Amino acid sequence: MMRKLFIAATLLFWLAVLGFWVTDAWLPVPPAVAVEKRYTLQELARHNQPNDCWMAIDGMVYDFSTYLPQHPSEPSVMLPWCGKEATQAFLTKTKGRPHSSYASQLLPTYRIGRLGAVDESPSGN
Amino acid sequence: MSVMRWRNPIIAPAFALALPLAAVWWSFPEGLPLWRSIAIVTAWAGSALLVANLALVVREPHLARLLGGLEPAYLWHHRSGLTAYLLLLCHPLALAVDGWLEAPQLAWQTLAPWTQSWPVWLGWAALLLLMLGLATTFALRLPYRRWRAFHYALGLGVVLGLTHVYVLLGGVELILVLIALAGLALGWRLIASDLGVASYPYRVTQVARPATGMIEVNLAPSAAALAVAPGQFVLLACGDGVRFRGCGEYHPFTVTSVAADGQVKLAIKALGPCTQRIQTIEPGVQVRLQGPFGTFLREASTAPQLWIAGGVGITPFIAALRAHPCAQPTTLIYLFRNAADAAFLDELNAYAQTDPQFELRSVETGKAPVDFPGLLQQVSQLAQREVNLCGPAPLVQALMPHLLQLGVDPNAIHSERFDFR
Repeated sequence: MMRKLFIAATLLFWLAVLGFWVTDAWLPVPPAVAVEKRYTLQELARHNQPNDCWMAIDGMVYDFSTYLPQHPSEPSVMLPWCGKEATQAFLTKTKGRPHSSYASQLLPTYRIGRLGAVDESPSGN
Repeated sequence: MSVMRWRNPIIAPAFALALPLAAVWWSFPEGLPLWRSIAIVTAWAGSALLVANLALVVREPHLARLLGGLEPAYLWHHRSGLTAYLLLLCHPLALAVDGWLEAPQLAWQTLAPWTQSWPVWLGWAALLLLMLGLATTFALRLPYRRWRAFHYALGLGVVLGLTHVYVLLGGVELILVLIALAGLALGWRLIASDLGVASYPYRVTQVARPATGMIEVNLAPSAAALAVAPGQFVLLACGDGVRFRGCGEYHPFTVTSVAADGQVKLAIKALGPCTQRIQTIEPGVQVRLQGPFGTFLREASTAPQLWIAGGVGITPFIAALRAHPCAQPTTLIYLFRNAADAAFLDELNAYAQTDPQFELRSVETGKAPVDFPGLLQQVSQLAQREVNLCGPAPLVQALMPHLLQLGVDPNAIHSERFDFR
């Protein structure tokens, strides 16, 4: 009984993983996220609401509007940084501690572009 | 070896479930999307269940007694291990579904290891080790040593899984508690039990051969003696002798005699490579014992007894007969394949002649199927008897329905089997 349950669950798991992979391969490639899109600090500052929350960290601009409800801490911790350059806040979570590597790993998911005018980009030099 | 009826059948499952329930209560997410919440709950419940699972195989005599014996502890070790695995399989899938609902492309990105970093790889490595370890656990006919090696992979899987959580979340209180408990349980099992630090040194003083492929060793304590009783079993690991080379691993053996001066006798049948090698053990060899374990024949009862032994399953009964005369009318049905396999038969016949309370029915079965109903119907007052069964699992399983059919109270049936993984 336990053996059968193990085999069935393992097979179903790999089938589900395979399903996600096949679906990904068949789905149209999403339009290139405006990775290289440039935003100024003024533009950033306009997105300073809980439901429209952008931040700049280490030269990149992130849209955390959908992430905000998932953040482990109280909203009051993260909200004040919406619309701002938040590198220091990110690197000093509490008592000078940086965020975990998992947090760093989450960042690309929310990246929408770079900070700075177009003519400041390195490729433009 | 195992005892089927436990003193308290609730303790072992309660022990297994308490930690995951506490973990879910502590970590239950609020205000997160459904599938992300499922991912979090399954991760914590699975991780905590794995830690409880480790604690169930610590194999420490006091803990084993608290849990009602090693049998329920091992049964719930198996159940909790598989349940934890099922929960942990749900964890990445739930994360993928959560990603899918945001953007379908995110689902595969959540799962594909090459889009992730090493903290997530740790999680994948843990899950794959659990998968491998469980696959080998369920593999039929895997030699014991190979099975044990793959079982260590499961322990490593737990360690990697907890590290995965620690790296992702940092030092939150619950993960620190789980890591501490897992370290304690694994450390105790590996150091005290597997390496034998908590064992008692004994010396082989005599070796007898009561049947083909079976020896009976007399062991004298080199220091303190175990407080063992007839019906119980111990774990034995053998050292080296002049010509004998022990295999160094612990195997369970039922005691066949317990002397007042602390000496014990164990019957060892050649059932695998290690027990085969022990057949050549010689006096003077140092051995180590752990235990005692088991509650077989330990329940005080005034009811007349029916003992049924199959082959090497005679060992707890011979220990009881050697310890003291029968207190109640006792019938022993002793089933063996042929005369050469019938260990202690002469001694049992002698007890039958000298102890008026003891009746022996020895049955040479050969290869023909045994007429269990016929055998049992010859036993007087069968329905009033307390029945103790000891022998191979197929024998115990085959006898059970006949005993119940003939009116024996299910609560009056106790059984000890000879499979112990």
